[in-house]
Amino acid sequence: MSGSISGKAAIVGIGQSAFGRFLPDSQLGLGAQALRAALDDAGLQRSDIDGLSLHMGWPLGADYDRMAEVYGLEVNYVNQAWTHGRFVTSALQHAAMAIATGMATVVACITAICFTRERHILGGPGDQEGMREQGATHGENPVFGLTSPAAGAAFAMQRYMALHGATSAELAAVPIALRQHARLNPQALMQKPLTLEDHQSARMIVDPLRLFDCSLVTDGAVVVLLTGADRARDLRRLPVRITGMQGIRSGRDEFIFAPPNLGINQQPTARVTPRERDLVAYRMAGLDRDAIQGFYTYDAFSPLVLFALERFGFCGPGEAARWVQGGRIAPGGELPVNTSGGLLSEAHVCGWNSIAEMVRQLRGEAGPRQIPDARCLQWGTCWGDSVILQR
Amino acid sequence: MMDPNSLTSKPLPRLTPDNTPFWEACRRHELMLPWCAACDRAHWPPGPVCPFCFGMRVEWRRASGRGRISSWVVVHQEWLPAFKSELPYNAVQVELEEGVRLTGNVVGVPNGALKVGLPVEVVFDDVTETATLPRFQPMGTEAASPAKDA
Repeated sequence: MSGSISGKAAIVGIGQSAFGRFLPDSQLGLGAQALRAALDDAGLQRSDIDGLSLHMGWPLGADYDRMAEVYGLEVNYVNQAWTHGRFVTSALQHAAMAIATGMATVVACITAICFTRERHILGGPGDQEGMREQGATHGENPVFGLTSPAAGAAFAMQRYMALHGATSAELAAVPIALRQHARLNPQALMQKPLTLEDHQSARMIVDPLRLFDCSLVTDGAVVVLLTGADRARDLRRLPVRITGMQGIRSGRDEFIFAPPNLGINQQPTARVTPRERDLVAYRMAGLDRDAIQGFYTYDAFSPLVLFALERFGFCGPGEAARWVQGGRIAPGGELPVNTSGGLLSEAHVCGWNSIAEMVRQLRGEAGPRQIPDARCLQWGTCWGDSVILQR
Repeated sequence: MMDPNSLTSKPLPRLTPDNTPFWEACRRHELMLPWCAACDRAHWPPGPVCPFCFGMRVEWRRASGRGRISSWVVVHQEWLPAFKSELPYNAVQVELEEGVRLTGNVVGVPNGALKVGLPVEVVFDDVTETATLPRFQPMGTEAASPAKDA
């Protein structure tokens, strides 16, 4: 594709802090550990970083200027959203775009979060998002007792179950598979086997979501370093190229935590199979969905995994709950999903733990959970954005 | 308006230039929706323009108050302390006959009887002297209005 950004930027370094609960370090302290590790991994100096692309900042986590000040960075390019899963992909994409357009040469994506100290923002009186003038994104409505993004995922799953005959026991296949992946990852916080009985007997958080359908609440940091493809070839590690990408889908047929046209909030109701505009990441990368060897997604709640699989056409609308049965997304399955354990079983580093895992997989460094000869992996979310990574 | 971050009181509607007619109508026990004068469609949430034709003339018209549950949840987690005594409590999205979906709670029915497609109608709950919330009850419920709606 002439003029395409495909292949122009590459991930050349990854680093992470310890993951845990109630860690003694500050958020910036965890970020410093991860940044050091990423620079060592890439063989780059701190002074090489001239750009920051962050999906985090007020009201949760440090803003770019505090990071630059505390870490002694001097940058010429900044992109910052705020801490929200929906801005993970665009943070990575903006890093690639800044490099491709020459606005920066080495961009750091820094995510450092202590959810255990900041959990009030995830629901309750501290849910400032839910009380904004325009209201929140996930169907929150504190006036009626609805707070926390979990409410939106629950609304979507309840309707999905009613329309398609899916069950909570089928949904359990998602957290169970991710736990199986986590058990092959020593960094993952959840190492105990998870059974269907465990899932079904766990307490309800917001019906139909049970405890194991909701992400962990943890502390940790991940840093991803990107540079141009030419420079990447001269660095220490095998470059992982960004070959395809597409942005967030938004409009009246979308709800952040649902497939298109499920009928949540003001979505119309219709069966939607992926349209051409839903699949441009594959086109940009010059490949078909069949080439994807592993799928990575923002699994804040287990239904989001189902909706993402449908969004990109791995199965038809309404079919995902059955499609994920039988170990299909588990280790050794046809389409392994979130092989480090994801937000459900590794740690909640806002999805960047999965981005780092994709890089390890493509380098062939994933140990017992290695996808054989991994060459092409996809990050794609249930709100429709995506990045395709290749070695 | 009460402090929305208060630990002891329930959050109250936050009035904005776009949604004030809705909440004022609720105080009169009327359900009003924003309609586009140009393309004659109701929309939600209330906004400064019609999202369908981008028309600027938005009118408020009385709605039927009838609809069906399009999705429902039951909250078990204690998030908002002011709701603790009501746990587990439901919340629903209701698709009104006018085509828009509102969020609310269903009264007069056990949570176990909630289902997608259940016909409901609006009732009004005067939660304070200055705020009234629309809630829903199963269609045809006799005298099932909240006590404060007596």
